[in-house]
Amino acid sequence: MDASFPVPRPTPLSAPFWEGTRAGELRLQQCDDCGGWRWTPQILCTHCHSPRFAWQAASGRGKVYSFTTVHRPPTPAFTAPYVVAVVELDEGPLMLTQIVEVPPEEIAVEMRVKVKLTALDEAITLYPFTADREHIA
Amino acid sequence: MNGARDIAIAGIGVTVQSRGSGRSAISLLMESIGLALDDAGLSMRDVDGYVGFTFPAGNGQGMNDANVARQFGQPMTLVAETSGAQAVLLAGAAIRAGLAEVVVIPAGGSQSAGAEMATYTRPTYEFTEWTGSMTPAQFALIARRHMHEFGTTSEQLAAVAATAHRHGRLNPEAVAFGRPALDADAILNARMIADPFTQPMCSLVNDGASCIVVTSAERARDCRHAPVWVLGGAFETRSNSYFEAPSLGMMESRPRMIDGFARAGVVHDDVDIVMCYDHFVHGPIIQFETLGFCAPGEGGDYVPVAMQLDGAHPGSLDGGNLAYSHNGVPYNFKPIEIVRQFRGDTPDLCPGWREGIHTYDRNLCRKVRDPRLAIGCAPMTDGRHGFAILAKD
Repeated sequence: MDASFPVPRPTPLSAPFWEGTRAGELRLQQCDDCGGWRWTPQILCTHCHSPRFAWQAASGRGKVYSFTTVHRPPTPAFTAPYVVAVVELDEGPLMLTQIVEVPPEEIAVEMRVKVKLTALDEAITLYPFTADREHIA
Repeated sequence: MNGARDIAIAGIGVTVQSRGSGRSAISLLMESIGLALDDAGLSMRDVDGYVGFTFPAGNGQGMNDANVARQFGQPMTLVAETSGAQAVLLAGAAIRAGLAEVVVIPAGGSQSAGAEMATYTRPTYEFTEWTGSMTPAQFALIARRHMHEFGTTSEQLAAVAATAHRHGRLNPEAVAFGRPALDADAILNARMIADPFTQPMCSLVNDGASCIVVTSAERARDCRHAPVWVLGGAFETRSNSYFEAPSLGMMESRPRMIDGFARAGVVHDDVDIVMCYDHFVHGPIIQFETLGFCAPGEGGDYVPVAMQLDGAHPGSLDGGNLAYSHNGVPYNFKPIEIVRQFRGDTPDLCPGWREGIHTYDRNLCRKVRDPRLAIGCAPMTDGRHGFAILAKD
């Protein structure tokens, strides 16, 4: 890892998410009252405004909402080309992420993807996505 | 605002837009305020309202309303934080409510120092930064989704960029003035930044500032130039750009945007100029669709033709963010270019433009013929989108 890589810094609100990825799960907030899922981490349910929620393991699966191959990285911490994507999780929320281990020319909108948890260091495990071969018809 | 001609843009001011100016943002902003007030025939003594993203923080006292009042040496009765078309509407509402009488809307910045990529293109959020996303990638994601849902093509995106660059090459004040001409093919074949965006489909990075003065009809009638009326508009904020995943969610605001025309008593066909927010080339296409100038999905075909100087709704008339200026906070330029088109204050290659002699030869002239009604858009993202309707008598 490049020394200048922007390592995520958890906040009190987001810490359970990062504990989840470290434990091998993609955990999202799920509302105790309406059952709605939300991403990014927020105080209230974005569907019904309830403050009651639990961090629950999501399926870690979804489909590509959109993607772009970045050829000109923002800082030297990144090596181009790489693929930034929005994944529509099976639970509903859209999640900004990367798609890895798939040649860019093979990526398509609506393609099935699954999370590929990747340890960055002892504290942070990132959550890029990759092709979900089991779901390719 | 309901189409009444009781709120006006009375003055505009634009500093030099350039790369690596070596000047501070505060210096550029205060210059733009002075230029706009002078244009209006007003002075800093007349100002009681301030709306801007970039507050005069260059004195080390931070960005707050008290510091704004300190800059003017008199009480401010309105201080708020937004820009461009949205700020014009907010200022108008505040003036109508009696909260202020003369509102300045400065905007701009100084960050390039000759850099290729501005610092504001690197969101520091824990769920954004690690992905290596930056501004072009954020908006490329929106463009790609639009291509998927509606069949919009890279060629159509390039055609939008080509028009903006062509207008910019006619504008001696544009940062890209004097650069080699770019047609759609050259734009498609340029260096890829974040697909589908090549470099000429992305905003410039430069320094500069601009300012708009909004006041009541009564005050505006005593000002130096004919008032430009603020007839109305519409705004929506849905989500936090750069933090939330980019999406086409802003297109769901179409009914509210169309209602903004109805409330102002304006029909789309009567609009002479549509200054879209053109930070990336998908912007005008999505805005034409969302504002109701064409149906969702029709923009790819419609916009590259409509936005031409003699098209149905000409736009990017100064070169836009692609070729004129992106100084960090360039939202003001959309209303400002409309005011300049209304006045005929359109620097270009026509030898007599200063004397009001516009040739309308499109190799020289970027003046729209006799515009009277225009739309100035704000950034069209989930974070902030909408428009103001401006008119001249």
